[in-house]
Amino acid sequence: MKRNITRRECLAGAAMAAGCLLLPNVPTIARAAAPSTRPALPPARAGKVTIGRCKTYGPELVTTLATMFDQLGGLGGLVKGKTVAVKVNFIGVRSQRLGDAKMEDTFWSHPSMIGAVVHLLGEAGAKQVRVLEGPWSSAETLEEVMLSQNWRPEDILNAAPNVEFENTNYLGRGKKYSRFWVPGGGWVFPGYDLNHSYEDCDVFVSLAKLKEHALTGVTLSMKNIYGTTPITIYGGQAGIDEPAVRPQGGRGEVFHFARRAPSKSAPQQIDPNYSKDAGVRLPHIIAELNAARPAHLAIIEGINTATGAETNYGSRPQAAVSPGVIIAGTNTVATDGVAMAVMGFDPMAVRGKAPFTSADNMLQLGEEIGVGLRDPKKNEVIGVPIADALFDFAAVRTKILQQQRGGRAGGA
Amino acid sequence: MAIGVQSIPMRWAAGSLDIARRQKDKTFTPAMADVLRKWLDPSLLALVQGTPINCLVVSWSSGTAADAEQQTSLKPLLDKARQAGLDVVGLIDGPGDKTAAVAAARAAGLSAIAMKGNPPANAGIPVIAWGSSDQSLWSADAPVLAISDASWPGVSQANDPAGGPTNLPWVDSNGALIGMAQAMGAGKGVKSVWVAVDPPTTVKQTAENFLLAIADAQASGGRWVISLDDQLRADLAAKTAASAATLKRITDMLAFFEKNNATRAYGPMARLAVVSNFSDPMDRILGEQSLNLLPRTREPFRVIARSQALAASLDGLQGIFYVDRELPDAALRQKLIAFAEAGGTLFVRANWSNPEGTPMQLSSEEAYLLFSERSVGKGRLAVARQDELDPFFTCADIQNILSHRGDPMRLYNGPSMNCVCQVATDGRQGVIHMLNYARRAGGDPAVVYVKTPYAKASFVSPEIASPVPLQLAVQAAGGAELTVPKFAVYGAVQLES
Repeated sequence: MKRNITRRECLAGAAMAAGCLLLPNVPTIARAAAPSTRPALPPARAGKVTIGRCKTYGPELVTTLATMFDQLGGLGGLVKGKTVAVKVNFIGVRSQRLGDAKMEDTFWSHPSMIGAVVHLLGEAGAKQVRVLEGPWSSAETLEEVMLSQNWRPEDILNAAPNVEFENTNYLGRGKKYSRFWVPGGGWVFPGYDLNHSYEDCDVFVSLAKLKEHALTGVTLSMKNIYGTTPITIYGGQAGIDEPAVRPQGGRGEVFHFARRAPSKSAPQQIDPNYSKDAGVRLPHIIAELNAARPAHLAIIEGINTATGAETNYGSRPQAAVSPGVIIAGTNTVATDGVAMAVMGFDPMAVRGKAPFTSADNMLQLGEEIGVGLRDPKKNEVIGVPIADALFDFAAVRTKILQQQRGGRAGGA
Repeated sequence: MAIGVQSIPMRWAAGSLDIARRQKDKTFTPAMADVLRKWLDPSLLALVQGTPINCLVVSWSSGTAADAEQQTSLKPLLDKARQAGLDVVGLIDGPGDKTAAVAAARAAGLSAIAMKGNPPANAGIPVIAWGSSDQSLWSADAPVLAISDASWPGVSQANDPAGGPTNLPWVDSNGALIGMAQAMGAGKGVKSVWVAVDPPTTVKQTAENFLLAIADAQASGGRWVISLDDQLRADLAAKTAASAATLKRITDMLAFFEKNNATRAYGPMARLAVVSNFSDPMDRILGEQSLNLLPRTREPFRVIARSQALAASLDGLQGIFYVDRELPDAALRQKLIAFAEAGGTLFVRANWSNPEGTPMQLSSEEAYLLFSERSVGKGRLAVARQDELDPFFTCADIQNILSHRGDPMRLYNGPSMNCVCQVATDGRQGVIHMLNYARRAGGDPAVVYVKTPYAKASFVSPEIASPVPLQLAVQAAGGAELTVPKFAVYGAVQLES
């Protein structure tokens, strides 16, 4: 099938000839001036997704991941000699745990998972691996963020040759922000200005946690990419004309509720009167970002995680759980679709149906904009069968609510 | 009994002066005035008999015609208090003849007077310095400094709910004022710092509000002058069971702190010192707000008055924030730079002339920091890049530059909590006072991290019958975490090597 490919994708073409299927199945990343017309989008293509069982963060983790990546066609063809950017997930106020469970066992990417992925990327020949995230309201280095959680960042830095961290919540080490246009023109924003790291890479990996989300229903590899947007431009305290120097606060004012615009230096909302319903805005923005900065590899870790929401709200029925699964795939929509099925949710659900009770289905929007197909039946799903990997998140919530009411425990 | 560190004071509002003082408040009613008259009844002293409260503060003079009536009407109460072994402090404020007021207090046999400014020469009676937290208070030659412009502790009720650098809610605490007073009073024979703040009249106070006011002061080494709100005062006069129960909780909290008073001899468990004379108005703002915000970043600290810094020990410190624009004299500058040369980090203002050391090449991702760094010996000199410093970001950047690798402690959960960390002089024992400004237990237990390798830990609180042993979960990266039982207002983690 003919498609537009970038120069970097050309380099991967040789690997295709060698049988590697882990290829960037992504539309062109347009970096030039804004398109003056809305081109027709190529239809989303089927992807490949694998499910792995992994009970602990011990030695089995690397083995499991290695098997999974082999099942997807191998990492070598994708990353050999390349700069690989891995976007991890350090959401929310870093000191707010769920009970006394650590952040990495509930809401955050686990350091062992990050280290294992980095290690395997290095083994596959990646020239450089850059671990990226924009931690809540902070320009501290990711190393400092990790230290504040009693982690050993050197374990990740030493997992492969030439590993770096960068906080992408602001300009960071870049001289300017990089502009990513949304293929087809977008619904909310025509493009986004991101930290240079998301451009200065050959391969982009979304490394997410298997979680629900209080608004968007789920937060998986698609929603992880929402966190690429710098707070200095898209935060409530962002600069009016130009980006702020340091990030402060969150993105709700701009993205969720449209109470203010991004810094004027960044692409502005297409229609100033676009819906102010966060349940409409956020899924559309997430889909746009996935199309503008697509991932070559999506990994969703659910060895230990939390149910109920993406962070500790304090008021929701939440629990630390151990599904013991990892899902990985060649695009974020397909991978999220399988992950939702593993969570006991229907990726085909429409707004109003669980888990999308308050929001549009971001997977459906991602499909419309060409990122991938959300129906597991339309993708190649290998590894552990979904039915065997199933961990019913809703059932956990039901059980908690019953316990709170003093009723008999239900079963998950 | 001499007024000093053993004095546990209570504001005994009663009589015409307190009625006149309260009449300025729109919420004050005739019924409340009646209650203030009732509190002249000596029989009400039974409320404090057998409790730790041993010192009453009464309104003595306001420089008005009502002074004489007040002093006369207090006489039966004073006589009974003397018989009961209670100290009575007479509060003198307003205009008028201070000499006469002091003489009357002496003649009436008061234990001490409390007043702003300099007392008359040869007062012949101990004087408590009672006033706003400023140079005149700190420079007073008095055994007790009583801060009259303190805050009512709690989660801030301000309209803007945005918190500080960590996005935690803003809390109103008097820890900063107490720290400043202690530092500025060091070397002047100041034995105790009191916090003289009355409960707000606009909202009904629960027992937890009073308990927090006690704990907020005690944790920082000060004492809140117990002050009741109108409703509690009325209910106690009417001898309701509920009010008696509230008062018992208040006095039980006081008794708890007296029982666990060994930590009064402890010093701060901190790697950072804040040095200032808090005299220039802008320095005062930056210094005081830094002391308010550092607990919210969970960065323990010591306060050192600039005037005392040359003599102060810098042992155990990794960072010093020299707040003042006024440059130190040569001897102090030499000492501060020696600290940096030995491996510490000295943070100074932008006007630090001829900065020592050589500029460090920092990466562009550090361009946002408020400080530029210079290499000095084994350490660093961090010079502010701009004259005006945002206290929020100043605290965040100081902690960032010092690095979380050296955090003495961390707190997880407890968004409305502050911690005051102290250690014994021999380092073998430590305590982490934990104050919950939300005044009710949260859904998640607080988790404390300590860097020092202690062997045992336990949790104490007036809210539990006996100490609870805590498990020290050693972390692979070093240090240990402890999960703390939930508590509403105050608890302390006691640590032993």
